[in-house]
Amino acid sequence: MSKIFYDRLIILEEIEVEIKNIAKTPEEKEELWSEIDEIVHHKLMGCVLEKLPKAHHHDFLQKFEKSPQDEGLFKFLTEKVGEDIEEFLKTETEKLKKELLQLIKGN
Amino acid sequence: MKKPAATYQTIYRDKIDAEFLRNKLKLKNIEVRESFSQKFPEVNKFLVKRGIDLGKIREHSAKIIGAGVLSGTLLFAPPGGIKDIPPITELISSIKDSVGDNAGDIPQKLLIDLLKEVLPAKPRSLEASEEKKLEQVFEKVIGVRTRASLEGEHLNTTYGYIGAEQHLARYPGDTIVNHPKIAVGDEGMAPGLGAWGYFTPSREKLSKSLEETEKWYAVVQTLYLPDWNKRSKYLREWYKYRKVLIVNTDNGNAVVAAIADSGPAAWTGKHFGGSPEVMEYLGGPRYKKGAVILFFVDDPENKVPLGPVDYNKLNLSGLALRQI
Repeated sequence: MSKIFYDRLIILEEIEVEIKNIAKTPEEKEELWSEIDEIVHHKLMGCVLEKLPKAHHHDFLQKFEKSPQDEGLFKFLTEKVGEDIEEFLKTETEKLKKELLQLIKGN
Repeated sequence: MKKPAATYQTIYRDKIDAEFLRNKLKLKNIEVRESFSQKFPEVNKFLVKRGIDLGKIREHSAKIIGAGVLSGTLLFAPPGGIKDIPPITELISSIKDSVGDNAGDIPQKLLIDLLKEVLPAKPRSLEASEEKKLEQVFEKVIGVRTRASLEGEHLNTTYGYIGAEQHLARYPGDTIVNHPKIAVGDEGMAPGLGAWGYFTPSREKLSKSLEETEKWYAVVQTLYLPDWNKRSKYLREWYKYRKVLIVNTDNGNAVVAAIADSGPAAWTGKHFGGSPEVMEYLGGPRYKKGAVILFFVDDPENKVPLGPVDYNKLNLSGLALRQI
C-alpha cells in the first residue's frame, strides 16, 4: 500500500467533496488532489518535527526514509516526545482541514 | 441591498474554477515548503541528499513497498503481524468441526469465519501468502476465480476501506433524472466524469453491457501506482473496466464490479470506491464506508457477470445449499 504512517489520521473527506465539485476533468481532479497531498505532508511532518526534540531528528528521519509506511514510528515518536503523538496529529489535522476548506471556499 | 464587497464575494465564489483553485493551492504549497525548509534546514538537507521530495513521499513509499511485494515478502513487519495460517481445506474442516449446528455448511457464514482466520484485525497491506489463501477461499466458497496479482499487475492495496461514490455520467447530457437510482440514500450524480470519460459518445450508443458497467462500477487508486507515470498508457488500458471482486469482510457480501474511475484521494482514509449500487449490495442503503477485500477477477473468456454474487445459491462442491 502506498501509504505513510500517519495516513489513517488524515481524513479530509470534505475537501475531496469540494474538489469534486470544482474539477471538470479527471486530470484536474488528480492535480488538485496532488497539491493537497503535498501540503499535507509538509504540514504534518512539520508538526512531528516541532514536537520531537532535535536530538532525535536524525534517528527518526533514518527510520522514516527506510519505512515511511511503518506505524511503528508512532511508538518511537510517542516515546521520544513523551505524549500521545497520534492525538496531537489528529488535532493538527483538524486545524489543517479548516485552513484548507477556507482556502478552497475563498472565505 | 448587498454591500459591494458582499456582491464581489458572491461573484468570486461563483467563478471559482479548477485553474483558480490550482493556483491558490500552488501558492499555499510553496508557502508550506518554504516554511518547512526554514524551520528544519537540517531535515531538508537530509531529504535532498537522498533524493526524497517530501511532497512526493508516496512515490518513495510505493517503491519500498513494491520492492517488498516483488521479493515475496514485506521488508518491514506489518503492524498487525502475520498469522500462521493452515491450508484452506484444513481451515474449512476445523471451522465446520467447531460449529455445533450446521452453520459451518452455510457458505456466507463459512466465508466470514474463514476471513476472520486469514485477515489481520485492521486493514493493511497483505503478504503474498495471505493473498494466496484468500484467492483459494474466494474460489472455493464464492465460486469466483480471483487474483491479487493478475498479468503482473497488483494494486497498492487489496485490503482497505471502500467509500460511497456517486453515479457517473454515461454519455454527454446524461443527468440524474434519466439515470437509474437506488431506492434509499442515493448519492446522486458526480459533477465530473470518471477517469475514462464518458462510457459512450451518445445515449443511442449506450449498450446494456455499458449500462451494467456504470451500475456496478468500482474506483481504485491507479494514480498512486508506483509505475503509473512510466506506464500510464498501458496501465490506463489495462485497468479500464477491469473486473474486480469486492468482498465486505464484515458480512461476506460479494459483488463483481468494473473499474471505471480513479481514486479516492489518499488523504480520505479510504482506498476504494463503489457505485451506489455496489455499496447498497455490500452493506445496505446506509453503508458509506467499510473494510473490503478487492481482487481482480481472472476471467479471460469474459464469462463472469457484473453485479452481486449470490453464492449461497451456488451449487459448489462440498458446500451445502443454504441461505442465511
